[in-house]
Amino acid sequence: MKNKKKYSNYISISESRKIIRYNIRQMKHYEKLKRRKLDKSEYTVAMRDEGNLIEIDGLKTCFFTDAGTVMSVNGVSFDIPKNKIVGVVGESGCGKSVTSLSIMQLVQSPQGQITEGQIRYNSEELGYDEEGKKLAYDISKMPTKDMYNIRGKDITMIFQEPMTSLNPVFTIGYQLDEVTFLHRPSLPKAEVKEYSIEMLKKVGISMPEHTYKCYPHELSGGMRQRVMIAMALAGDPKLIIADEPTTALDVTIQAQILELLRELQKKQGCSIMLITHDLGVIAEMADVVVVMYAGKVIEKGTAQEIFHNPMHPYTIGLQKSKPLITSDENSPLYSIPGQVPNPINLPNHCYFKNRCSRCTEKCGGEYPREIKVSETHSVSCWLYDNGESADGGER
Amino acid sequence: MAEKDNNNLSEEKYDPAAEGRAEAQGAAAEQDDDILVVEHLKKYFPIQTNFFGKPTKYLRAVDDVSFRLKRGTTIGVVGESGCGKTTLGRTILKLYPSDGGTIRFNGVDLTSLKKSEMRKYRTDIQLIFQDPYSSLPPRMTVGSIIGEGVKVHKIVPRGETYDYVQSVMKSCGLQPQYYDRYPHEFSGGQRQRICIARALAVKPKLVICDEPVSALDVSIQAQIINLLKELQNTMGLTYVFISHDLSVVKYITDQILVMYLGNVMELGETGEIFKNPLHPYTKALFSAVPVPDPDAKMHRIILEGDIPSPANPPEGCKFHTRCSECMDVCKFKQPEYVEVGKGHHVACHLYNAEVMAHLDDYAEEYKRILAERRAKEEYASRTKGRNKLFNGAFSSAARRAEGSFSVYPDCGGESDGGKEPETPQKED
Repeated sequence: MKNKKKYSNYISISESRKIIRYNIRQMKHYEKLKRRKLDKSEYTVAMRDEGNLIEIDGLKTCFFTDAGTVMSVNGVSFDIPKNKIVGVVGESGCGKSVTSLSIMQLVQSPQGQITEGQIRYNSEELGYDEEGKKLAYDISKMPTKDMYNIRGKDITMIFQEPMTSLNPVFTIGYQLDEVTFLHRPSLPKAEVKEYSIEMLKKVGISMPEHTYKCYPHELSGGMRQRVMIAMALAGDPKLIIADEPTTALDVTIQAQILELLRELQKKQGCSIMLITHDLGVIAEMADVVVVMYAGKVIEKGTAQEIFHNPMHPYTIGLQKSKPLITSDENSPLYSIPGQVPNPINLPNHCYFKNRCSRCTEKCGGEYPREIKVSETHSVSCWLYDNGESADGGER
Repeated sequence: MAEKDNNNLSEEKYDPAAEGRAEAQGAAAEQDDDILVVEHLKKYFPIQTNFFGKPTKYLRAVDDVSFRLKRGTTIGVVGESGCGKTTLGRTILKLYPSDGGTIRFNGVDLTSLKKSEMRKYRTDIQLIFQDPYSSLPPRMTVGSIIGEGVKVHKIVPRGETYDYVQSVMKSCGLQPQYYDRYPHEFSGGQRQRICIARALAVKPKLVICDEPVSALDVSIQAQIINLLKELQNTMGLTYVFISHDLSVVKYITDQILVMYLGNVMELGETGEIFKNPLHPYTKALFSAVPVPDPDAKMHRIILEGDIPSPANPPEGCKFHTRCSECMDVCKFKQPEYVEVGKGHHVACHLYNAEVMAHLDDYAEEYKRILAERRAKEEYASRTKGRNKLFNGAFSSAARRAEGSFSVYPDCGGESDGGKEPETPQKED
């Protein structure tokens, strides 16, 4: 009855087999690389800037799926300075979560693999090399066993859904103690409990002794998120990755949690990588903003630069498409036409080309390089290349 | 296909008499400007039953909600999760039977209609769900999803269904070649368009949008909001817009209803409410919204604590546990609705001149209530081991004996609820 049309995402059986064979080969290759024994010197590299905690350089993370290779993170580079909050914004599927998982070495393997690039973590354990540069661990090459010492202790993560990330069959106290047991095995049991209760107090839970004995289902969403934060703090981290920490919460609770995060960041002196799609949250929290689109960083700069002087058409569109609570305007909202491109077989030109309102002839060419507008502000767009970038730099 | 035909047959059979009756009822109020009038609507869910299955404890999901909605306008329902926004929307649609109050749609009281009579109004009121990923049947094509309601309700003659569905799809921004595709082939924004097309295909007058954009990305959100607005202008639709995103609500609505634990806290025109929020909860809610401007210094009111469990809400004003301007009155007396401006209602003692004038009296009242409560607790702890049956009989007899036991008839009787009013005189 219906005539079968050949859709763009239609794959014939022979093609499908080819893809699967290729995937298996690739996955085996990368898994082998992970399993080989490495000398410590092989995964220590020099930092570019000592003031950074994390430097991500040309990171590429792929997922080998049956429909083809998905380039979730496609050459991302940005820095996380010490004692700063870095906000990563982007729509769903732009690779912001995968970037954070790559930092934690938690990408779903074997289908997800870091194929290229470096993630340099500025650890205090390491000294300086001969040239006087600070040494750092390269997380992308680091063996899993050594990663145990960093993950959960130096770099911790707060997830989006506090209900799914807490274990429902153990008490809050048990789960909190576990973190301390793992990272400080010498501490006696009674002290561990004390420490956990202190952590609960720190995140503003009014009855820590009572909460210590509770199960996750007995707590509300905001409380659960506080417990998650307490768990993240228990290892005394240098970097907290907060992956959409407030998306599942109400506005009033969101305000509480954001306030708490900001206070803790100041008190503890750690960095926070805040991943969200809400520009309001970013504006309120972040010092440095990274805007991602389809696996690439399209613009980065300080919060002031990004919000007062957005340059990439996508950043501008993103800011215009959200109705402001402070304005009374009633004209139709600006909306970016179309949708995010298919992550399989991405085009060679700028990924935003088909949705861009200021598209020029140049956009048909190769992907635009990163153009520095000022010391901290850089954008990947042909509009600001050549002549325009020169006067942009003077500003 | 066979199933659908059966459906149609049963449709044909059903009573023309009921239709006629409802029509006559509706015609009388047709001139009325308000398309939807909700008065004292209540929806209680039983959460505890006794031995015989009779409910003893209720969750008051929607408690005494009233509002009027003019033709072609939009009302926004805002509030935190668990405050009864969605239940309100579904009760209006009679997906849940209401437990009190009236819903008058075009002058017809929907609460008094039978299920079969209600069918006629199903086409007039439609619902758009929050999650476009789970609200579309995965085994039906887009054309059949949108066309199903059209066929069942006979919106257009049979032969014209295809063309009609195509035109609806076009107006919702869906391309005609999508007719034969399945929902899984679409992205979130496109799916939400299909949901909107499905709702609009039966030519509704009132559409209840239950968080239609919160599952979507920012850039797609703008597309859907623009589409909803455009459709409202071209088709003269009326929306009940349920959302927790205040900036979207401000953009799209004419009226706002702020809910907290099933109660209406504030109701008024959008501009008025945003310019002049009166209720402490509204103020806190508005100030909690992050503004995308790093230099904006907002005066932020951060509410303490969490939203209380709706199964066991606090006495008096339900917000008093988190309120920064809580007084003694709030702890035992439920505030009444006060009209402060044109169409601007607020349920707070702060704006009730009568209450504010007698604050001292109420403070004393509260002290007395506290003392009574303490006495009761003492009594209960003393009689703990005694026979419960006897205890119950005794207390009910005592209640009968002293008819005017509760010092404060407004709240005293209510607050005593399930507890046994023991004789406090003995302790005094």
